[in-house]
Amino acid sequence: MLDRVVHRTDLSALIDELARTRRIVGPVKHEDRFFYEAVDRAGRLDLDFTYCVYSPKAQLLPPKETLLTFDRTTGNFTCHPLYDERPTVLAGVHPCDLHAIKLLDHVFGAEHADEQYLSRRRHMFLIGIDCPHPCTAGVFCRDMHAHVADSGFDLMCYPLERDQAGRTVRYGVQVGTTAGQEAILYGRVGTPPTPEAEQHLARYQAEKDRAFPKAIPVDSAGLPGLLAKSYDSLLWEATARRCYSCGSCNLVCPTCYCFDIHDDGALGGNGGERVREWDGCQLRGFAEVAGPHNFRPKPGSRLRHRVFRKGKWILERTGLPGCVGCARCDRACTARISLVDMYKQLAEEV
Amino acid sequence: MIAERTKRAARPSLYEPVVARIRSVTKQTDSEMLFDIALPEGRPLGHQPGQFVQVLVPGVGECPISICTSPTRADSFGLCVRRVGDVTAHLHGLGAGDTVGIRGPLGRGFNLAEFIGRDVLIVAGGLGLAPVRSLIQYILDERANFGRFSLLYGARNPSELLFRADLVRWRERKDMNFHVTVDKPDDDWRGHSGVVTTLFRELPALDPSTRVVVVGPPVMFKFVVLEVLARRIPQKQLYCSLERRMKCGVGKCGHCQVNHVYVCMEGPVFTYGELKAIREAFE
Repeated sequence: MLDRVVHRTDLSALIDELARTRRIVGPVKHEDRFFYEAVDRAGRLDLDFTYCVYSPKAQLLPPKETLLTFDRTTGNFTCHPLYDERPTVLAGVHPCDLHAIKLLDHVFGAEHADEQYLSRRRHMFLIGIDCPHPCTAGVFCRDMHAHVADSGFDLMCYPLERDQAGRTVRYGVQVGTTAGQEAILYGRVGTPPTPEAEQHLARYQAEKDRAFPKAIPVDSAGLPGLLAKSYDSLLWEATARRCYSCGSCNLVCPTCYCFDIHDDGALGGNGGERVREWDGCQLRGFAEVAGPHNFRPKPGSRLRHRVFRKGKWILERTGLPGCVGCARCDRACTARISLVDMYKQLAEEV
Repeated sequence: MIAERTKRAARPSLYEPVVARIRSVTKQTDSEMLFDIALPEGRPLGHQPGQFVQVLVPGVGECPISICTSPTRADSFGLCVRRVGDVTAHLHGLGAGDTVGIRGPLGRGFNLAEFIGRDVLIVAGGLGLAPVRSLIQYILDERANFGRFSLLYGARNPSELLFRADLVRWRERKDMNFHVTVDKPDDDWRGHSGVVTTLFRELPALDPSTRVVVVGPPVMFKFVVLEVLARRIPQKQLYCSLERRMKCGVGKCGHCQVNHVYVCMEGPVFTYGELKAIREAFE
């Protein structure tokens, strides 16, 4: 169901309207690649982007953030938590990444709510952009049921019509939240959807359904069963032989949210910060304790840990898939280790 | 890093510790110190035996430490800290009157409802005595609520024995069955020597409903479990506590995860039955 039909310039105008009180972050093209960046006006965004190299998780869980500052006096100290409450419109989020944000919302919002994540999230207006076809080869979002999203956005834009150059000229807009509804009302852009537009959307969705192939032998619901049979497979060690333990897969993954917390002392030693920084389970020291003792010293056991989180454990714990099939990890891997290949190999083993 | 983008707020953060004061520091061994710590206004910590806290030395960092006193002794709590890394080394440099940050209590401790009314056997090795001391004190403070109580404690050598004053008091008590051993006795040692499993000979026959707690180095764990299972104690009545690298302490950061389990949330106390399903716990 559509709520509005807007021309591409209307969508830009709407984002600029929202940006009267918010920052704008969205896909910006650099040479032939796209990155989420803060911009001063919507015209700088490229909403016909393929995919962003890094996922939008950095907008919610920055690679490095100060959780609190402390001031020390002799024999005492005080702490001051910091919150990022800048209103932001994050425009241009594909369905896979919307699913990933849903997972982050659950992880940081359910039990032991993380106010530092939530304050950022509460001030974020999300504009989804649907994908008419896979953004690049090698993705398996369909298998993870993440190539479509029916919630998790304030507004969702379906690119219904393209011009000669391949640029979207008309979007069908679906409202996801009250904030989205208000934006449409106050923005005064576009027209109400006609029956013809609804038919257009149905056609678009049928074409989309044909455009997304299955890429792996199981889907997200079947992965836990496949992995349960594969814990003792030699594939982990065999594949990890070429792993550099560089953590690039963790870095680009939209659902990798593990982090480290450490102290940065200020010069002079009387103050400082407690800092949260992304960490990655593929890095050698991830499971090391003082002593030292490493609970996961082998690359094979670290690789298995990552794949089990993505395919089994997170789903079983949260009810939400721990992987959205964006295949950023496969593309980022310097050793050409591929989740898609591993899933295919495991399916052949059982 | 602190630009105008972030602002200070009076809201609590998951990661904000309570500033707590060290009341006393007692040397235990060459590498372990016992800290007695009080929260502001004598507030109780509100923990269960077996839980842990994150201890912050501002400017150095945080580390997870088991609480080694019972909630029945509520106006302060104890932490027995072995010097192994940066944070613990700095902690050892602090004294009475200094402050540390405390987050917690965290994790799942011993399920006391399972212990009340039953016989209890606790087997501790080395620093493993610290986390179970909270349960020992609880049982002794609520002695009438428990059945027969036995405690077996082993250390590598006499110089590594912890809580020596406690050991003397426990041996004198008639309402507990306490035995201690060292792997390598020195010339002055008059007590039992040998690994902790050799103390099982000193035990009376165990009732099948006995709740058993085993905390110590992994190698000890296996041999004690063998002794306990050989005495037909069901594995769901057998408890232990895992050590991992808890960072956030609230099931998010991923560091303490063992297979599908977050030790900081589902643990650190597990039954042997639960642990068997966690393959990595034994790797």
